[in-house]
Amino acid sequence: MLDNLIEFANYWWFRYLMVTELYMVEKWERVTIHVIFMVLFCVFGYFNYSVLLSFAGLFGPKSGIADILPTAAAAAQVAGQGVKVI
Amino acid sequence: MGNLDTDAGVTFEQSYATTNGNGIGNGKLPNGQSNASNSNFLLDNTIVDEQQREALVQILNQRKFSAPAYTEIRTRRSAAKAAAQAMKFKNANASNYHPAKNLQINGQVHALKEKPDFKPSQVEGKLSPEKEHYAKTSFEEVPLHTACLTYLGFYLLMILGYINQLLFVPKVASEKGREGYVTLYDAFESFYSRYVYRRIKDCWNRPICSVPGDELTLKDRVTDDYGWSFKFTGTQTRCLNLGSYNYLGFAAATGRCADESEDRARTAGLAYCSSRCELGNTEQHEELEKLTARYFGVEDAIVFGMGFATNALNLPSLLGPNCLVVSDEKNHASIILGLRLSGATIKVFKHNSMKDLERVLREGVCYGNPKKGGLPWSKIMIIVEGIFSMEGSIVRLPEVIALKKKYKAYLYLDEAHSVGAMGSNGRGIADYFKVDPKEVDILMGTFTKSFGSAGGYLAGSKKLIDFLRTNSHAHCYAGSISPPVVQQIVTSMKTIMGEDGTETGRNKIMQLARNTRYFRKRLAQIGVITYGHEDSPVVPMLVYLFSKIGAVVRTLTTRHIAVVGAGFPATPIMEGRIRFCLSAAHTKEQLDYALEVIDEISDDLGLKYSRKPRDPNPIEY
Repeated sequence: MLDNLIEFANYWWFRYLMVTELYMVEKWERVTIHVIFMVLFCVFGYFNYSVLLSFAGLFGPKSGIADILPTAAAAAQVAGQGVKVI
Repeated sequence: MGNLDTDAGVTFEQSYATTNGNGIGNGKLPNGQSNASNSNFLLDNTIVDEQQREALVQILNQRKFSAPAYTEIRTRRSAAKAAAQAMKFKNANASNYHPAKNLQINGQVHALKEKPDFKPSQVEGKLSPEKEHYAKTSFEEVPLHTACLTYLGFYLLMILGYINQLLFVPKVASEKGREGYVTLYDAFESFYSRYVYRRIKDCWNRPICSVPGDELTLKDRVTDDYGWSFKFTGTQTRCLNLGSYNYLGFAAATGRCADESEDRARTAGLAYCSSRCELGNTEQHEELEKLTARYFGVEDAIVFGMGFATNALNLPSLLGPNCLVVSDEKNHASIILGLRLSGATIKVFKHNSMKDLERVLREGVCYGNPKKGGLPWSKIMIIVEGIFSMEGSIVRLPEVIALKKKYKAYLYLDEAHSVGAMGSNGRGIADYFKVDPKEVDILMGTFTKSFGSAGGYLAGSKKLIDFLRTNSHAHCYAGSISPPVVQQIVTSMKTIMGEDGTETGRNKIMQLARNTRYFRKRLAQIGVITYGHEDSPVVPMLVYLFSKIGAVVRTLTTRHIAVVGAGFPATPIMEGRIRFCLSAAHTKEQLDYALEVIDEISDDLGLKYSRKPRDPNPIEY
């Protein structure tokens, strides 16, 4: 069972190395690229956590455009008033 | 692979065991012990005469290679499959892929005699010629995710290369004592060859040490420093040869061609040490030229000592600065070099696209030479190849001839790969399309490939050839062809023409055609993407990624199959490929063995990109 899992992981690790061309590079280069990948991944994660997550609550079923973009809503209101006057 | 990559967890013992296990199964044995049992089997069970037996023992002794320089990529699937295959082969000796096939040098006609009826393609004769050609040619689109991954991988390699170059500057990268000079070597090309090509360099320029017949012997080598340098291990690997341009199997060290060439070398020596215009012209050369002209059914021909130079040195004598050349985008380097040397204006049209060709021709005729204020070109020449060596496609000759007549252009047809290999009489593309060869103004080709010799020819009208005899640099300044080389061409050509009184030539052509159809259909059934025309013996199999070129070539070598990979400078960045070149020397058993291995490794390495429907029925040979 464990052997099977290891073999499965090995095989797909090999396939992963193959499609990213990391199969043919030296070991330290492979490590470097993986470190870069991990750093990028972490930065994205942090960005998602700190910036995008704060907007997440706004995208509910009840949220209108005014909650997400207050300025746009204000502009629309002004325009609407203008139409009303004319 | 193991010499470069320690990560896949393959120890030497493991790989040795694997190769050995397969070896018992399929008869390709890398070690001495099984060799002995193998030869016993052969000597007991096969009825061979004394001479053949000696040759066989010699071959078996020659294969005394102990340590494979390559190790197999061991994966879950391949291990299971290999074991299953070994079991299957143990039970059925009949389907063995056997080195004894090597004994049938120069005339693999046995299989043919049993089944003389050649099965045509399904679309043959049912559609119009243009549609038929279209139906037989395949350039399958690359799957989107593969394209993205290939570019991503290429960028990763570039980034890594730059990091590498920044940190460890190799001694060769900077020139010493050259202050104030501009760099002599092109920067990107040397960067590319150091940091991309070098990593899988072991898959190219592989030295061989035998005749490249249906099988060949690779000289093993290993690298300790990731491809910067190689060491020979002193061992050899006998491989099935799917890489040489030996289309008709005339490259052999024995047989009629070899004997007659040997005799010629004994009577006439090896060189005339002079050019054709001086003291190097002999009756033999004249005979060869007459024979070549007769072979193609044209008035006259001229021969040269080198195929590449035939293009590169003769095009400048035919074209000048006020000429327009309409050249296919996939034309060979020799043509491109010749055109650049000539100084003619070069316009490129899309590969095999008659619409684009017509557009370029029409623009050329309408607008004339812009450098001379729109005066008409002094001549317009269309240059195409018969079989394009990297694409495996066949030129649409009848349509090109129609266009050539419409726009009054000349046609230069390079038949380097197609002569001998195409057509029912082996006379190249014109024969294949049943077109009158006189409609092609200049027929060019090489003797290097199908004829198993060296050199090139130009054939056409008497006037053209006379012009070349006085104006060609290759004729006036290059040394004349060596006598045994000429003899090889003459003998093989006569064999193909049937003038030796046997059916050998015809059989070889038939065998090649059958091998081609069979191999291509089986590959399509396996589900890999192949390019080109159904009848072309050059079969490029698309693998797209650099790593995959390396992995496929290395894995196939562990399975005793030698193939050639082609990567970026020769192909577009995205389209790495493995090129199989079929030969009349291959037997069905050999092809079956190769196909089985390809099927297996394309599962393991993920090469089954094709989304076309696959033929569920077994392919008939």
